[in-house]
Amino acid sequence: MTIRILVVDDHSIVRQGLKTLLEGHSGWEVIGEAADGAEAVEKARNLSPDVMVLDVTMPRMNGLEACRLIRRHSPDMEILFVTQHDSPQMMREALEAGARGYVVKSNAARDLLAAVEAVSQHRVFTTLNDGSYPQVR
Amino acid sequence: MKLRILLADDHEIVRRGLRALLEKHEGWEVCGEASDGREAIEKALQLNPDVVIVDIGMPNLNGLDTTRQLLQHDPHFKVIVLTITDSDQVIREALDAGARGFVLKSDAARDLVSAVEALQNKRMFFTPRVNDLVLAGFLEKGQTVSRNEAPKLPTLTAREREITQLLAEGNSSKEVASLLNLSTKTVETHRSNIMRKLSFHSIRDLVVYAIKNNLIQIELPPPPKTPAGPTAA
Repeated sequence: MTIRILVVDDHSIVRQGLKTLLEGHSGWEVIGEAADGAEAVEKARNLSPDVMVLDVTMPRMNGLEACRLIRRHSPDMEILFVTQHDSPQMMREALEAGARGYVVKSNAARDLLAAVEAVSQHRVFTTLNDGSYPQVR
Repeated sequence: MKLRILLADDHEIVRRGLRALLEKHEGWEVCGEASDGREAIEKALQLNPDVVIVDIGMPNLNGLDTTRQLLQHDPHFKVIVLTITDSDQVIREALDAGARGFVLKSDAARDLVSAVEALQNKRMFFTPRVNDLVLAGFLEKGQTVSRNEAPKLPTLTAREREITQLLAEGNSSKEVASLLNLSTKTVETHRSNIMRKLSFHSIRDLVVYAIKNNLIQIELPPPPKTPAGPTAA
């Protein structure tokens, strides 16, 4: 299945790592990158990706605000947070903002592909770094 | 002969990004990866890389103490420190630890290749802020910043700093003992000495000290959404 992905993180080295991992999956394409929430909102509008991989803490506009705005204008696009914040409260905020997935950065190499696959099928994928198994529903 | 680089960062996704960036450069290869400071030291001694790139904020043993310990083992190791902040204190500590390169993570895609090239050519590489700070120290005092303006030398020994980091990360004395191959009693003794030296009475004080002294790093959540102002009835 082809999935068109937009990668958003303020560190280009992290974007590069995410891109390498995602493009290793046959049929998936990273169609664009953004370095902050405002750029993410603009590129989401212009590129209409299937899935957006989004960081929380970024300059100009953080990921939560960007997520709320994007969900308002593009309800079909799925958003997956990949973040440093290993916290149930932050995960709840992300889901309330309209995200479908939440992955802690330290687990990204293990969980990212399964998470993108799940959210692209409009399922919820969440995992924290507490030793529990990822939740998919 | 290829230039061999060892990467140490606790996030595999960052290591992937760094590897992709560095291996684009002809004649360079990433000979190994480590996910914390202890593993970095072990792999550096085993692989003898030409350049070691270490993240400051790693669990178990942070990048600054990793740099110190690596250079104690062999002063010929060339270390580039990757950091999320270039505060004066972090710069001073990195210089003091013996790093020969200092690159901000946010600028890594732009600066890291230049930093490795500099070390390859037996030079050092620092961000403009580090250069400014070092220069300011020379101009104002006629001596290096680290000699004149650095905060007091840490009162803790290398072993005590390691134990402080592990305790601040939430490990019990028993867990610290297991990680460092020490007896629980030895760790308890170190712990008492640390608390006495720093005049601390709780683990909370120790956590704050560890954050302030870059033994551990935390990422703060974004500020909450500004609530809407009161509306007129």
